[in-house]
Amino acid sequence: MEQNRVVVTGLGTVNAIARSVPEFSSALQAGRCGIGPVTVFDTAEFRTHNGGEVQQFAPREMIPRPYSLKRMSRADCMAMAATVEALNDAGLFAAPDKLRGEMGVVIGGGAGGMLECEAVYRDYLLGTGRGLAYSRFASFCCASSADQIASQLRIRGPKTTFMTACSSGATAIGYARDLIQTNMAPVVICGGTEPLCRITYAAFNALQAVDPEHCKPFDKNRQGLSLGEGSGVMILEALSHARQRGARIYGEILGYGVSCDAHHMTAPDPEGAGAALAMRRALEDAGVSTEAVDYINAHGTATPANDLMETKGIKAVFGRRAYQIPISSTKSMIGHTLGAAGAIEGVAAVLAIHHHFIPPTIHHQTPDPQCDLDFVTEGARASDINIVLSNSFAFGGNNTAVVFGKFADSGVTHA
Amino acid sequence: MLRRVVVTGVGLVTPLGVGKDVFTRQLFGGFSGIRPITLFDTTRFDAKLGAQIRDFTPQDFIRPATLRRMDRLSQMATAGARMALDDAAFQIGPHNRDRVGVVLGTCFGGTDVAAQFGKVLFTDSPRRANPILVPNVVMNAPAGHAAIELGVRGVNTTVNHREVSAETAMAYAAAEIMRGRADVILAGGGDIISEFYFNVLTHFRTLSPQKGGMEELRPFDAQRNGTIVGEGAGIVCLESLESAEARGAIPYCEIAGWGLSAAPAGPNDWPTDPIGPSLAMTRALAAAHIDSGEIDYVSAAANGGRRSDRIEAEALGGVFSSPGRQPRVSAIKGSLGEGFSSGGIRAAAMALSIQNRTLAPTLGLSQPLAPLNFVLNAETQVAIRYGLLNGVSSGGTFAAVIMKKIG
Repeated sequence: MEQNRVVVTGLGTVNAIARSVPEFSSALQAGRCGIGPVTVFDTAEFRTHNGGEVQQFAPREMIPRPYSLKRMSRADCMAMAATVEALNDAGLFAAPDKLRGEMGVVIGGGAGGMLECEAVYRDYLLGTGRGLAYSRFASFCCASSADQIASQLRIRGPKTTFMTACSSGATAIGYARDLIQTNMAPVVICGGTEPLCRITYAAFNALQAVDPEHCKPFDKNRQGLSLGEGSGVMILEALSHARQRGARIYGEILGYGVSCDAHHMTAPDPEGAGAALAMRRALEDAGVSTEAVDYINAHGTATPANDLMETKGIKAVFGRRAYQIPISSTKSMIGHTLGAAGAIEGVAAVLAIHHHFIPPTIHHQTPDPQCDLDFVTEGARASDINIVLSNSFAFGGNNTAVVFGKFADSGVTHA
Repeated sequence: MLRRVVVTGVGLVTPLGVGKDVFTRQLFGGFSGIRPITLFDTTRFDAKLGAQIRDFTPQDFIRPATLRRMDRLSQMATAGARMALDDAAFQIGPHNRDRVGVVLGTCFGGTDVAAQFGKVLFTDSPRRANPILVPNVVMNAPAGHAAIELGVRGVNTTVNHREVSAETAMAYAAAEIMRGRADVILAGGGDIISEFYFNVLTHFRTLSPQKGGMEELRPFDAQRNGTIVGEGAGIVCLESLESAEARGAIPYCEIAGWGLSAAPAGPNDWPTDPIGPSLAMTRALAAAHIDSGEIDYVSAAANGGRRSDRIEAEALGGVFSSPGRQPRVSAIKGSLGEGFSSGGIRAAAMALSIQNRTLAPTLGLSQPLAPLNFVLNAETQVAIRYGLLNGVSSGGTFAAVIMKKIG
């Protein structure tokens, strides 16, 4: 149905290997590694020291005046920078007031303003706070990023924030599409943002889920994830609205699916049943067959449990076809950006479609007989892609899968 | 074809008591849950009062194996979800568990656990941080725990957008059912009172007493001087009308529509004009295909906040301006305190109002700041065909949900 189609008309990102979308596209094709020593806080006391940090992040260079950086956390600034890029990319940065009055903002969050509040909290606990900088708590909630974007850009449509840990960004994209399909907004700014911070770093270290070097998704010797940070934002738009203003169309959101493992708070269902349910629901929602999927952007955190269950889940959904689909984990390059992961990976999926390539899984050296699919370990591949399935799985058993497609006027590419 | 969504159950863990029977007696009987705080020492604060949950025995609702892994907020939310499911008399089995979901909203999450985790991290060493606490530090813990306890694998999502988290969660859940992605979703939200946040709210001058007045929560009152914190969880069992009809369940009411909006505001601050809340309400009316004169009752978000109550009152006055058709308005935070993700409890209260034809009083209101048709004392025998649940949040986010009597 023409009126129900939702397309991607703008992209924005900052992450460990890029501070813009063109940079991200070339870094993905080059298989660049952004995982190295963490500098946003002192890691001396921690078990591990590496992460996918956004290098030399200078918000003022990316967020033009008169937009204020006052009381904005690192997470807020990254989301705002990605939003500015995405809106410019979509030709909507100077959108008319009428459109701003209807535009929505849906962000997936993680630690929010935790990085900035940790210092205040430490002072509070140690009783050393001379003048506790409580004003920093203005940006503490994950909601702060969406609030800043909407308030500074004077947007009045639906606004919300999801926090489903590592699937927040994917859920935000799925919900943004629903808002457009149900006529709640013609255009929605959606995505996710996540800062590196001590609490998160300590939490994953306490779970012994962090690879001290860099993550090695689907490798036999994988030891855990690398934490990362960044933001991914996309502009979703009703097809009719995009056509009317002659917008460039990157691709289409074809469907999404959500499920819950109902198994364990931090460990995934070992058989991947919840993951498979989310993938099936996304494909069903999109109306695409397993045969039509050309590439899977895996959750691929590189924890022993995730990669095994994800492999099993993909096999359960795709059967024999699982062995023929290229699958990669872009986390091998930027780390696991938690609340932003589904959004940054969504940007990667759309770039793969638009620029005809499949991003690689880097750092993969030793094949795992239990993870025996095509993980694109030799480097990026040139390939014409029509349909991408992007997986995001999270603590709490929160699974989300999103299906992206190449845009075709007839709307039948994925039949 | 979009499906219709109805409320078939309510679950309540509140400062007025646990379960719908005691909650109904207390709320509509005009009682308050506000008392001196006992969760922590309030000596160094001006504010001393809070609405803590009372008489809550989580063991009554949650199996021991799951319970021992849960933080306090997860216990409240999971017990609420169980109660809502039982109230709906909905049986979960292998045939339907993939079609039952949990969608919750929380503003602060399990802040007590985060504080405990951070304490070791910052006063000792990150190497001694306790892995057992990690699962409950994340905001989506309550929804995850509830799904594990109930064994449901449907849609599971957590909205984390300040004071409108629960209203937005219910709107999201209703949309998922409408689109056929789930048959039943336990939706709502909750928050807890914690010492650290009490500090932060004190700093932001959110809490009564301000300017040397008495410590009171006076919604929409000219003499209001800040809010009083509350806590609790409220969950409604949302179900497709066809699922409810197929099993012979009698719904409390239908979710007729909702509206979401944003308005420019400073960080953590309020807009200066009522456009935001007005937009959310007019969008909800449009979605429900009714005009403002058809709303009989509004459950307002007012909490005694100096600016938030004013813009909400202005918005209500502007939206409901048809002569002779002004809805009755009550603000039940006068009884419950500001529970942050209070939308679930307030939605359950609205469902009970529609079913029992009673209106809850606005405790603490004596000199209305605007000429709205306020409910000052509980009223009975009041027919509500359409009720509007209003949500307002600092940072400029607004949500309105319209609930409709069936038949």
